[in-house]
Amino acid sequence: MFWQLVVSGLATGCIYALVALGLTLIYKATEHVNFAQGEMAMVGAFLGYTLYTDLHLPVSMAVAGAVVLSGVVGLVIQFVVIRPAADQPHFNVFIITMGLSIVLRSLAGLVWSHDEFPFPGLFPVRPVTFGPVVVTPLNLGTIAVAVGIMAGLFAFFRYTRHGVAMRAVCERPEAAQLMGVEVRRVFAAVWVLSAAVSGLAGALIAPVLNLSTHMGAVVIPAFAAAILGGWGSFPGAIAGGMALGVIENLAGGYLAGQIKNMVPFLVVLGVLVVRPQGFLGEKEIRKV
Amino acid sequence: MTWAWRVLLWAGGAAGLWWLKGTLGLFVVNLLLVYVVVAVGLNVLMGFTGQISAGHAGFLAVGAYVAALVGQHAPGLGVGWALLAAGTVSAVLGVVIGLPALRLAGFYIAMATLAFGVVVSEAILQLDAWTGGADGMYVLAPTWFGVSLETDEQKFWLVLAVAVLTVVTASNLARSKVGRALTALRESGVAAECVGISTPFYRTLAFVVSAFYTGMAGALFAYVVSYISPDAFSIELSIDFVAMVILGGMGSIGGSILGAALLTVLDQYLAAFQDFRALIFGLAVVVCMIALPNGLQGLFRAAGARLRG
Repeated sequence: MFWQLVVSGLATGCIYALVALGLTLIYKATEHVNFAQGEMAMVGAFLGYTLYTDLHLPVSMAVAGAVVLSGVVGLVIQFVVIRPAADQPHFNVFIITMGLSIVLRSLAGLVWSHDEFPFPGLFPVRPVTFGPVVVTPLNLGTIAVAVGIMAGLFAFFRYTRHGVAMRAVCERPEAAQLMGVEVRRVFAAVWVLSAAVSGLAGALIAPVLNLSTHMGAVVIPAFAAAILGGWGSFPGAIAGGMALGVIENLAGGYLAGQIKNMVPFLVVLGVLVVRPQGFLGEKEIRKV
Repeated sequence: MTWAWRVLLWAGGAAGLWWLKGTLGLFVVNLLLVYVVVAVGLNVLMGFTGQISAGHAGFLAVGAYVAALVGQHAPGLGVGWALLAAGTVSAVLGVVIGLPALRLAGFYIAMATLAFGVVVSEAILQLDAWTGGADGMYVLAPTWFGVSLETDEQKFWLVLAVAVLTVVTASNLARSKVGRALTALRESGVAAECVGISTPFYRTLAFVVSAFYTGMAGALFAYVVSYISPDAFSIELSIDFVAMVILGGMGSIGGSILGAALLTVLDQYLAAFQDFRALIFGLAVVVCMIALPNGLQGLFRAAGARLRG
């Protein structure tokens, strides 16, 4: 029972980790907090669904298409909504993304309706037994893809010129600009990357939750994950996501079913009271 | 603002309410006034301290359920006491949320209040022995010196009295020592501390005042709709409140009144088109923040300045 809950918790946790990574990407580069990250994942999954049902693409192509189209959506959002407000306080941009989340959800409702749709899994759901644990290839595949993406992102930031440029912009935008990095282009690229990662997360979780416009609520466990791991830390977002998925599942399995939905909120409140910088985060010290 | 202008504004507000009563009915007017109390209360937090609350529907729910429980278990109690109880319970929770929020900056507070709103809804569901859980509960009409306020018209005078009281106290607060201290803290925390303004005290106070107003509004809400259930107090409602304050202009009480009124009326006309309603509310927030960071109040002020040359 215990290991069973841990493994399926890890699969959900990987999704949280991906969305939390998207949040962290945008935050690190621009210090903006994107409340609409979950809706971006939802829209990405719907785009994949449309590719699958209307264009009859195979599932893998549909998911790949969802990732690309999500990136385009991220670019459009960055150009239309975020760039015009770039000079405003971060607080205002946060409110803008709150409004944006409502806009995206209602637009998705107008286009696809608020019904639930069965989303095709990238991997089969027929369970496989490993000793005491029964897992579905879907769970394992989700974990594998998520871990692959995280490794890919790590390599990208570590070894490629664009990755290094992004990190430079995160550290100090003015200095990066002086060194010849096109900061505005990097900001746009960060939104594209973040939206694409979230779109993938949406397409991976849609088979489990059933695709619907309510899927955007995934942003809340993602925030909880990022805060648990330490806000603004990439390893923190990943570890926090996985930990949250497991905690949620264990609480649901051993305590009461209803408490599962409350876990992210209780985690946020608990972490903020006890250790606001999270587990892997650094304490924010502000100079006067 | 001169006295003549002020009288004109109040008279305009009264005329507007009269017109709304004719077109949409007294129930909507009552709801509008309840939302005015919430928006002014939320503005105390958002406008004076620059902190955002994404969970004010939670405070509204607390006030509503306190009023309903008071009505059920102490039916003879006057409406004044019931409102006070609703406001106080909500304010105490405001301290509980406000104290940890002191250590946090910016969006963390939004997340903590968001979490608070959801925990309240969930708690109401779980405490079904008292609250009726998902079935909700009926709210008895409030009593004023033995008279039961049953009709919409009687409730109107109650809600109007509280709304006027809220507006007057909040605008006096803005001009008082407390209001100036909060504004100083918003502009520069360090500079304010240097002249002896205590950050923890005033920031908690803003939370408490805001929660008190919203708790009272919750009680009024319960009386006006006379049936409450947890799903009435969703995250969406909290974000609607934020939209009211943003549309009107953060820090402006007149703006909050206008924002609450506009969005409530819009809500009535768009009730049948839920997605368009949400789309327009969301776009209003986005466009307002990009083009008019000071909301409608900022627009009017700019127009007034241009008229005067």
